[in-house]
Amino acid sequence: MATNKTPIKVGFAGALTTVKTELPEGEPVPWDADSKLVHVGKKVPRIDGHLKVSGKAKYTYDIHLPGMLWAAVLRCPHPAAKVVSVDVGPALKEPGVKAAIALAKAGDTLKFAGQDVAAVAAERPDQAHAALAAIAVKYKKLGYSVDVVSAAHPKAPVVHEGAVGERRTEGHVGEGGGGTLQGNVRPLPPSVRGDVDKAMAKAKPELTHAAVYTVPVQTHSALETHGLLVRWDGADRMTVWASTQSIFSVRDEMAATFGLDKDKVRVVTEFLGGGFGAKFGASAPGSGLGYIAGELAKQAKAPVKLMCTRADEHVCTGNRPDAIQQVKLAAKGKALLAIDVTSHGTAGVGTGAGVGRNAFGIYTKCPNVRVTSYDVFTNGGPGTAMRAPGHPQGAFAIELALDELAAKMGVDPLELRIDHDEHPLRVKQFERGGETFGWARKRAESAKMRAGNARIRHGYGVAASLWGDFGRASAAVATVSVKPNATIEVKNGVQDIGTGIVTVLAQVAAEVFRRPLSTVTVKYGDSEFGPSVGSGGSQTTSSVTPAIRNAAEQAKTQLTARAAELLGVGSAEEVTWDDEGTAHGGGKSMTFAQVCKKIEGEAIVATASRARTYGTAPMAFPGAPLPQIAGVQFAEVTVDTWTGVVRVPHVLALHDCGRIMNELTVRSQINGGVILGTSYALMEQRVMDNDFGRMLNPNLDCYKILGAEDTPAIDIELFDVYTGANSTGAAGIGEPATIPTAAAIACAVFDAIGAPVRSLPLTPNRVLAALGAYEAKEPPLPDHLRA
Amino acid sequence: MERFSIVRLATLKETSARVAEGAGERVIRAGGIDLLDRMKEGLEAPTELVELQSIGGEEGTALRGASEKDGGWRLGALVTLGQIAAMTDLPKAYRALQVAAGEAATPGIRNAATLGGNLLQRPRCWYFRHQDMVCLKKGGDMCYAQTGDHRYHAILGAGPSWIVHPSSTASPLLALDASVEIWDGKASTRTVPIADLFALPTVDPEREHTLSPGEILLSVQLPAPVADQRSAYATAKEKQSQDWPLAEASVRLSMRGGKMSQVRVALGHVAPIPWRAKEAEAILEGKTPSADLFVEAAKAATSPAKPLAGNAYKVPLTHGLLRQALHEATGLAEA
Repeated sequence: MATNKTPIKVGFAGALTTVKTELPEGEPVPWDADSKLVHVGKKVPRIDGHLKVSGKAKYTYDIHLPGMLWAAVLRCPHPAAKVVSVDVGPALKEPGVKAAIALAKAGDTLKFAGQDVAAVAAERPDQAHAALAAIAVKYKKLGYSVDVVSAAHPKAPVVHEGAVGERRTEGHVGEGGGGTLQGNVRPLPPSVRGDVDKAMAKAKPELTHAAVYTVPVQTHSALETHGLLVRWDGADRMTVWASTQSIFSVRDEMAATFGLDKDKVRVVTEFLGGGFGAKFGASAPGSGLGYIAGELAKQAKAPVKLMCTRADEHVCTGNRPDAIQQVKLAAKGKALLAIDVTSHGTAGVGTGAGVGRNAFGIYTKCPNVRVTSYDVFTNGGPGTAMRAPGHPQGAFAIELALDELAAKMGVDPLELRIDHDEHPLRVKQFERGGETFGWARKRAESAKMRAGNARIRHGYGVAASLWGDFGRASAAVATVSVKPNATIEVKNGVQDIGTGIVTVLAQVAAEVFRRPLSTVTVKYGDSEFGPSVGSGGSQTTSSVTPAIRNAAEQAKTQLTARAAELLGVGSAEEVTWDDEGTAHGGGKSMTFAQVCKKIEGEAIVATASRARTYGTAPMAFPGAPLPQIAGVQFAEVTVDTWTGVVRVPHVLALHDCGRIMNELTVRSQINGGVILGTSYALMEQRVMDNDFGRMLNPNLDCYKILGAEDTPAIDIELFDVYTGANSTGAAGIGEPATIPTAAAIACAVFDAIGAPVRSLPLTPNRVLAALGAYEAKEPPLPDHLRA
Repeated sequence: MERFSIVRLATLKETSARVAEGAGERVIRAGGIDLLDRMKEGLEAPTELVELQSIGGEEGTALRGASEKDGGWRLGALVTLGQIAAMTDLPKAYRALQVAAGEAATPGIRNAATLGGNLLQRPRCWYFRHQDMVCLKKGGDMCYAQTGDHRYHAILGAGPSWIVHPSSTASPLLALDASVEIWDGKASTRTVPIADLFALPTVDPEREHTLSPGEILLSVQLPAPVADQRSAYATAKEKQSQDWPLAEASVRLSMRGGKMSQVRVALGHVAPIPWRAKEAEAILEGKTPSADLFVEAAKAATSPAKPLAGNAYKVPLTHGLLRQALHEATGLAEA
């Protein structure tokens, strides 16, 4: 055990320092730069991989119980309406229907097309859907706005009469609270450094840049839709199978909804088909799925399964807010003087459209910065967290604007970034990436193609990532058992959202005992296995692995004490374990199996949690005492100037995420982040029809998601960082890996054609307009959105 | 999707009669790609799908087969897009069709999607495909695309409906001067130029083709290539894996003595029907290929275009695709 002020070697290769850290009570000495680990950090294939690829893995969608009923939900067809009457009675007479409930009552105001109105449970799914037609509902249609421009207008119909009930986007760490709602617009606290107005006033006009950047609403579109299966186990107890990224928030919500003790609600999520930020809680951000399934099950006295249809998934389970960002920049010589961003974004009826951290927190040598974000409430359906809330939006605007300014300054965009970033590792990533990517040579080639007016142009761009190690203290409680048969069991109720966390947990336990991975089993995905965190904020690995290590160290201490007895030495300190797991002491030796055989009782069991974060290496996150995670991505595009089609043949991603726990699963997450970001750059967008106030593409045909032929070749360079912040040194990668992708691609398109495309996605209509192939009639930014 | 049964009969006559008896409730299924889409989208709820695939004997062989006759080719209605793309014995002169068939949808869909189904599928318009929106095409009062979001809609030949025809084989077949063989459901067949299979919305906004109830499309017939025939097809999509074209250009021409003749230009996904661009043909006919001439022809092709506020990009996009197709067909380097 550590004592006060423990020396820990932190940093990254080429920049290692020893810091003396006061460790929390009972904390083992954290794994640092000097630790020689044999399991952690290796390329370990997923221990559940074969179950997934063979179809044996059972997702919530696959769970069928005897006598189970299927639910379907009637959803409001209007973007805003007052409910005049609802009668579910006729639905009860439809074939197979066992229960029907109203979810809205006369007088209720419904705020988006897709909101819950009523629900039924029937013996077959087609019967449930057919029965919805029998429900009689009368609406009085109300005025509405489904886009930011019209909703922010002072005369727009007000979405929220009174206080906004919805919470801010989850996982949006460090930017809490909001100002007073005016109409549908609510300011977020601005981020300010220096004096932007003064700096702008002083700047030479030719070294300033001002433009408007827009990004669309993106939907999460997880392959497995939202849903759950509820079985009542008596009047005061239930079991819930849920497609969720947070088992314990499902438990808490179901307990609160039905007035049950938390420990009488069991939640199981063995496999999960994606979440991306929209699957916290028993309900979706725009649909009370937990209540609906639980209440129908109660009334029908049978288990009820409710899985969203694909259309429901698009309209009522949350989305990534859009943004209209006005960016103003100023420079002096080769130095950035001022950054001023004003953003309006819709989070639908939900909230949380702030975009500021990239502009504020990356190019910190710029002395004057101001970012002001506004939430604009609309009747477009709820927004929610989506993989790095606010960041891909913010990155797109600031990075493309910087490239436009760099062109005016006559400065290389990569050099401009290196010159204004204070994060030592991100600077190294910029430099290293520039070499690997062949930046200077490639930028010269693209300039030549532009000058030669080639049909197919190549372009190259770069953008940066910023995230924090938001690992949570005490939230995850892990149990590690060592059994007489020399196997190790790890238990924690965490869900595996698809990152491979289960494999990493096994690696950590194997590491502590220096035992083969095959001797470790992990019990997870079940609230019975002990408290854990939601998979959001890229915090799962950083929150859970220290708890596993700490519990394993405690179990090992107990095992060592037993070994000391067996070896006949006076104290545990006289026992040493070698890398084969053999105990030595008093001139004698016992294998791990021999010691385990002599365990008294069923097993040695220890339980522990994660301590508070106690380090910030290599650099603190802006405004919080926790490590900052860096990352840089380079993108290559081709642009067909005859058709406007953009393709992305190559992305180079350079990232750090604390200690690399498993190189394969880290690479897999980065691949996913780059693919999501490329999809955001090239094609994803919710399309709303203003005449109906409804989504036109609530499917996977016209809502386009990157396919195999669109996926770039992805090269990844990883940088190990020793944060000294928790006992394993793990940090997160899910979100940082997708933040800069779309921005880098947009910068590359600017390089390819010499004209910026300032709206995502970078579809042919926009590229052809930027090329001047036709006159696009884009309306100017209305006065009510101007700063 | 509602429950339905599948019926398999052995002859065309029985199949046609079965469907005719239960009009509206019973439908023919070939590949079923678009039909099942429409059923899942809640647009249609037939109780019975009567399978063309079960037809046997000579009729079945003709529906599923591809054969040469007098230098031309007959492609059965049930030949899949995947089969067309993979055929090694089709003349190079028909290349536009093979490329179009091979670039449509995905390998999985191409392996099931039939040529007949591709020609007779319903439009992809998102107002038409939305279960709750009763547009002109579904018997409503107006085409919502005209004032709504029409980024994927027609710039040529539109009104009172602004759909684009969804078939990717239609424009190359039009350029290749193909005909279709149609059975009347009782005793006789008729063969008509493929242009006559399609109808503008001014004829009937609720239909895209001219088949009468009970008629069945049996085959597509490609005429023997003209001397030194070349053809090419170009398309652009927002997404390269599984997406619908934003626009397509198909050309057929004869290259003799360095000059182009018998020029046919057809455009896809820009009009409610596969669109023949005679203005472009006139400019190209009898001329020596040149990049400038192709630009001129491309501009002529869209000269009748009347884009709406949100789809004007399709004009330069179509120019680019037609220029590409002309360069490919003539072998003239682009730069």
